[in-house]
Amino acid sequence: MVAFLSFAIIVLLFVVLVLIARAQELTADLKDGKVSFHNQSKFNGYMMLGFLVFMFVGAAMCFKILTPVMLPEAASEHGVKTDFLFNITMLIIGIVFVFTQIALFYFAYRYNESHGHDSYFYPHNNTLEVVWTVIPSIVLTGLIAMGMYEWMHIFDPEARDKKMMVIEATGKQFNWMLRYSGKDGKFGERLIDQAHVSPTNELGINWEDPKSHDDFMADKLYLVKNKPVLMKLGAQDVLHSFFLPHFRVKMDCVPGIPTEFYFVPTMTTEEMREYLKTQPWWQGINPETGLPRWETFKYELACAELCGKSHFGMQRDVVVVEQKEYDEWLAKQTPMYVPPVAETAPAETPAADTSKAEEKKPTAMLGRK
Amino acid sequence: METATAAHTDHHADVHGHEEHHHEETFLTKYIFSQDHKMISKQFLITGIFWGIVGGLLSVLFRLQLGWPNETFPFLESFLGKWAEGGKISQEFYYALVTMHGTILVFFVLTGGLSGTFANLLIPYQVGSRDMASPFINMLSYWFFLGAGVVMFFSFFIQTGPASGGWTAYPPINGLRDTAVNLGSGLGFDLWILGMTLFIVSALLGGLNYIATVLNMRTKGMNMFRLPLTIWALMFTAVIGVLSFPALLAGCVLLEFDRLLDTSFYLNNIIINGNLLGYKGGSPILFQHLFWFLGHPEVYIIILPAMGLVSEVLSTHSRKPVFGYKAMVFSILAILVLSFIVWAHHMFVTGLNPNLGAIFTLFTLLIAIPSAIKVFNWIGTVWRGKVRLSTANLFAIGFVSMFISGGLTGIILGNSAIDIQLHDTMFVVAHFHIVMGVSAFFGMFAGVYNWFPRLYGRYMNETLGLIHFYVTLIGAYAIFFPMHFMTGLPRRYYTYANFETFNNFNFLAEFISIAAIIVFLGQVLFVINFFYSIFKGRRVEVEKTVDGYDYGNPWGTTTLEWSSPIERLHGNWPGDIPAVHRWPYDYSVNGREYIPQTEALKPGEVPHE
Repeated sequence: MVAFLSFAIIVLLFVVLVLIARAQELTADLKDGKVSFHNQSKFNGYMMLGFLVFMFVGAAMCFKILTPVMLPEAASEHGVKTDFLFNITMLIIGIVFVFTQIALFYFAYRYNESHGHDSYFYPHNNTLEVVWTVIPSIVLTGLIAMGMYEWMHIFDPEARDKKMMVIEATGKQFNWMLRYSGKDGKFGERLIDQAHVSPTNELGINWEDPKSHDDFMADKLYLVKNKPVLMKLGAQDVLHSFFLPHFRVKMDCVPGIPTEFYFVPTMTTEEMREYLKTQPWWQGINPETGLPRWETFKYELACAELCGKSHFGMQRDVVVVEQKEYDEWLAKQTPMYVPPVAETAPAETPAADTSKAEEKKPTAMLGRK
Repeated sequence: METATAAHTDHHADVHGHEEHHHEETFLTKYIFSQDHKMISKQFLITGIFWGIVGGLLSVLFRLQLGWPNETFPFLESFLGKWAEGGKISQEFYYALVTMHGTILVFFVLTGGLSGTFANLLIPYQVGSRDMASPFINMLSYWFFLGAGVVMFFSFFIQTGPASGGWTAYPPINGLRDTAVNLGSGLGFDLWILGMTLFIVSALLGGLNYIATVLNMRTKGMNMFRLPLTIWALMFTAVIGVLSFPALLAGCVLLEFDRLLDTSFYLNNIIINGNLLGYKGGSPILFQHLFWFLGHPEVYIIILPAMGLVSEVLSTHSRKPVFGYKAMVFSILAILVLSFIVWAHHMFVTGLNPNLGAIFTLFTLLIAIPSAIKVFNWIGTVWRGKVRLSTANLFAIGFVSMFISGGLTGIILGNSAIDIQLHDTMFVVAHFHIVMGVSAFFGMFAGVYNWFPRLYGRYMNETLGLIHFYVTLIGAYAIFFPMHFMTGLPRRYYTYANFETFNNFNFLAEFISIAAIIVFLGQVLFVINFFYSIFKGRRVEVEKTVDGYDYGNPWGTTTLEWSSPIERLHGNWPGDIPAVHRWPYDYSVNGREYIPQTEALKPGEVPHE
């Protein structure tokens, strides 16, 4: 009913507008047999000024209301730098924005035909063209240089700390599989073939590789403050994208093509909460938990590449802790590997011909091969 | 080229009168299977308006979900049935909406509708030609466009729904057919590929024709530097289309092979629920290269015609030559060249070689230079003009404003290091909607309001036009300016409720949705104005009558389109095609308000060249 009523009101509104428009056309000012735009130009001239004011007031309100709600400051080494680059670019384009918009709308107001002046035939000026080619070129060169330098640094394998930790994240519909290398710090080998990949071993881990025996899967992404981490990324089924908004980390996960991202977290979850405690917006009460927002703050992992109907649900918590706390967490994790149980279940293991059949039809169980 | 040459000879031969152009026409040949460029232009425009309304409506639907993720809208169920059970848009349908919104607006409205309308209308008129190089191919171009649209529209009504895997059609999600885990990737996506194939055929037929016409069919005296900027822009647009659309076609054909014939062009080691599928050795990234090899030039295919229209409208209504004509031409040329070497900036975080990322950052940011030149020249055109603030000109000014706002944030996104964070977030959505969506629409509206008299012999209503303009200008800024602040929010999310991080912007999402609905209603007003004015609009004033033909010039422009009678004749000019003696921007010179291109130079007058 509400829908129908609003529809009826809208139709009515359109009818009224058309009638007004018709009336305007019948009463238009004529000059030399043509409709004069004098009054319309005058009106729109003021509207141009009005819009200019509206635009800057609106922009200022956006900054006032929305900036506090935005992501907090970067919690990674490179993130601080790219944020700086973002801010400095924002400043430059902000200045250009203000000046060009003022010029555009002010000229539209100042030189509209209702002022009764003549137009000035001024087809070109090469000096001006050179000026407004060279100045943007210089500014852009600076931005390009800074951007390239930062970019090459982020992806420079030479610049990596040899003592970094390595974590493997694999996207699938609709979840993240987070694999840690366990105590030995080395991942067991993965073999993507029919013999290894199975519903119980989605990653195709080769259990014959002893390095795999202490690997474990985590339900949260645990990171250590100031300890460099290399994320080894992949995807099972479709494209995903590994996105850590607070750390300014994003890298696509591509089936069949490994990718990686190296970064250094710089603030523990607790430190970030302490920081947010001082921020006005984060004092507000979260209606769902009834606690101040800063108290329940957490880092999160998201998917940033459309991967299916539940794309928006690929959430994992991310926790950054001090080394000591990390070690405690590490000690509590159980490896995926289940030692062979051949002795206790002899019926199922055997002979050479069964293992051949296995190659065709993957039925490999956890820890059995 | 043979057709072009034949038509060329014909156009020189037909100086002996116009009678042959007045053969009997039936309803079918005049309105349906027309080979007249003006009628084809109207066909493109009205089809484009249809698609504009459909595409806009889709965005209103998904804005309902984004603005009020916890509400239900029972009336939706009555229209959409199983796609909105209980009045809540389903996840599958949400993704179908965003996918088809993108496809329709990028291709069917802002490529087909925009280029198709104005290239067809303006190229023959403004270069001084009786029609396109090949009117028949031109007709085919429209019919392939319509066919593509019919296929796309049909896909909304099949049981499994239309394509839903994003307008970018990335595999593997769109490369695996009939797998339970995939999204709208069944018949709907096959139809998407079929529709796009027909669309590409249409774009190529049209594009080749536009280029041939501009290069070969210019009237006497119309050398290249006497072409209005509209024609330069439309020709360069066609060149970009002809060079880049084939890459998309190849990409799509290979994708369909993967889907139907189980090839592995884009697929490798796909594991679904722990079952390894048999695809080996392909690369999903390859498709992205092929897609964006068109996809990036595509945004210039969209924006260049708008730039051309705006240059012309600003100059005409400011009663002042466009500032820096040659700089404008060369900056379009620079954009054309650069548009082909920046595509990988859409792929900065796909894991591509960092060296490539650096190079693509360089080229991408270079595009800011010709763009800046154009902006300064437009502002210079308005400066000290005698500006008539008609609806057409307001839209042109609005275009410049939008292009500045949207173009500037491109400098942020084009910088790969910053793009790591912003890639695939709402910041990108805000950026490209302003710079190529809203801007291109503003250019298109400027064009429609300005050349409506040429299409129908009547003006569009100014009152409705002004309401339309202010609703669109304020509304579009209200939607997309605050959206820039959603810097970390991933796009294509059905709801942000699963994340504490992204849950802070609900009030803004609601505000944006309200603005989007109002803007949509504003566009409905445009459509009402359009059809109202076709039948009831104020007629173009007759300035003189020669040989029984009425002539007028509604905006006082110099270009050739108004040297032809107000009535739209097949063949454009009743007598000889007029010769051209001067450049197209002689406004406010020699004590005259404007001097048409057809007017011979006075003794001693030096042409502006």
